[in-house]
Amino acid sequence: MKAQRAQNIKWGHLPISKEEPQIMHIDLNSAFAMTEQQARPLLRGRPVGMANRLSKNCCIIAASYEAKSKGVRVGMGLVEARKLAPDLVLLETDPPKYLYVHQKLAQIMKSYSPNVKMKSIDEGLIDFHGTRNVINPRSLSEIALEIKARLKAELGNWIKVNIGIAPNRFLAKTAAGLNKPDGLDTIRYSNLQQIYSELKLTDLSGIARNYEARLNSARIFTPLDFLNTSADVLRHQVFHSVAAEEWYQRLRGYEVDDEPTNLGQVGRQFALDKSTHEEQELLPRFHYLCETTGKKLRYNGMDARSIVVWMGFQSGGGWKIRRTWNTSFYTDKEIYYRALRLFRQRPSHMKLTIMAIT
Amino acid sequence: MDFVEINKRVEVITRFASRGDPAYLVMPAKMKYKGEEIIFTELGLRHPTTKGRRMIHVFDMSDGTNDYRLEFDAEMLTWTLITIMGSQQ
Repeated sequence: MKAQRAQNIKWGHLPISKEEPQIMHIDLNSAFAMTEQQARPLLRGRPVGMANRLSKNCCIIAASYEAKSKGVRVGMGLVEARKLAPDLVLLETDPPKYLYVHQKLAQIMKSYSPNVKMKSIDEGLIDFHGTRNVINPRSLSEIALEIKARLKAELGNWIKVNIGIAPNRFLAKTAAGLNKPDGLDTIRYSNLQQIYSELKLTDLSGIARNYEARLNSARIFTPLDFLNTSADVLRHQVFHSVAAEEWYQRLRGYEVDDEPTNLGQVGRQFALDKSTHEEQELLPRFHYLCETTGKKLRYNGMDARSIVVWMGFQSGGGWKIRRTWNTSFYTDKEIYYRALRLFRQRPSHMKLTIMAIT
Repeated sequence: MDFVEINKRVEVITRFASRGDPAYLVMPAKMKYKGEEIIFTELGLRHPTTKGRRMIHVFDMSDGTNDYRLEFDAEMLTWTLITIMGSQQ
C-alpha cells in the first residue's frame, strides 16, 4: 500500500484520500482564559488576559475571545494590550487549575479509544481506527457532541471545545480551527477542496510567514494551489527535502504525522518586573530560571550538553550566546554554573527586560 | 475589577450531596466573613492541588456579586478565604 502510494507520488497521481474520517482533534478554546472565566463568573463576557507574572513588562500568554476580538494577541506586551482593551482584566496563571481541566479532558477522551494522544495542555486527538465496530458504532459527530456535553457537565457551562474530524491528523486540526469557538466540523473527501478554497495558506497548521513566502515564490498563493502542485515542484522549488512528499500526502488526507517525536530542548524565560543591569538584582532571577529549567529537564528524563542564554534589552534588540560541552549534565548546580559563565559575557551596561535559558 | 487578597480562616457550611455529578458532590453553601453571612449561588470550578504534602481542594465560588476563592485543607480540615474578586468587598 505504501509502495503504491510512493509510486503515485512519484508520478504525481496521488488522489485525494477517500478514507472515512477516523481522527478527532479536540482543542479547548483559549484554554487558560476560558478556565478562569469558568471559575470566576464575574469574568464571563469580559476581556481577560493571562500572564505568567504580573508586571508592567509582562506579556500576554493567553487571551479570552472577548480580548482577542479587541485585537489582543498572545505574545503582546501588557502596555500594547491595555491600549487596545483598556478594560482588560489581567490575571496570573494558575497551573494546577489548567492541569485539572487537562486531566478531565484526557479522561473523557480516553473513554472512547485507547489511541489518545494529548498534544499539549489544551489539545489532543483521538484515533478511532479499530474501535468503530466494537466500542463506537455511532457517528463521530454524535460522539463529538457527547464529549462537549460531558465537558460542560463535569467542568461547567462556560467550557467550550472546538472539535475537528478528518481522515488524518493535519486535516482534523484544520477542521477544529474552522469555526471557533465551540465548533464542530468534519473534513472528508467530498468537501476537502471546498474548505481549502475558503482558507489562506497561513490558516494551515505548520505554514507560517516564512513558508508562505517560499510557497508564494513558487506561485502557490492559496491552499488549493498548494493541493494542485506536484510533489516534484514542492521538492525542487519549495521545501528541498522529504517535507515536500509529506505535505503532498498530508494535504490529500493521508496520515504522515503519526510518528512519535522526541523532545529536543527545554527552556524557560523570565520577564523582569523592572529593567535593570545590576547583577545583584539579576542573579537571583537567573538562578530561579536555571532551577526551573533543570526541573523541567529532569521531569522529561533528559540531560543536556548545550546551553543557550538569551536576553532582551530595554533599548530594543537582544543578545544570545550558545555553548556545547562534550559531557552531559542535569543537576541545578551544574546548569547554573555553566549558564552563569555565559551570562557574565553579556554586554553588562545594557538594561534587561527579559532573559531566557534553553 | 477589584481583586483583594484575604488569606484568612473562615467558617463555612458545606453541603454534601448523596448523588449527582462527582464535580458537585461537595460544595460550600454559606460562609461567615466579617460578621456577615455570604450565601453562595454558583460553583465556578473545583480543583485539587497540593501545598507541600498537604492536599488542598480549591473552590471558586460566587454569590452573584463577588467571586471567592476558598481553599479546604484536607489534612488540617480548615477553610481559608484566599481572595475576593468583585466590586463589593
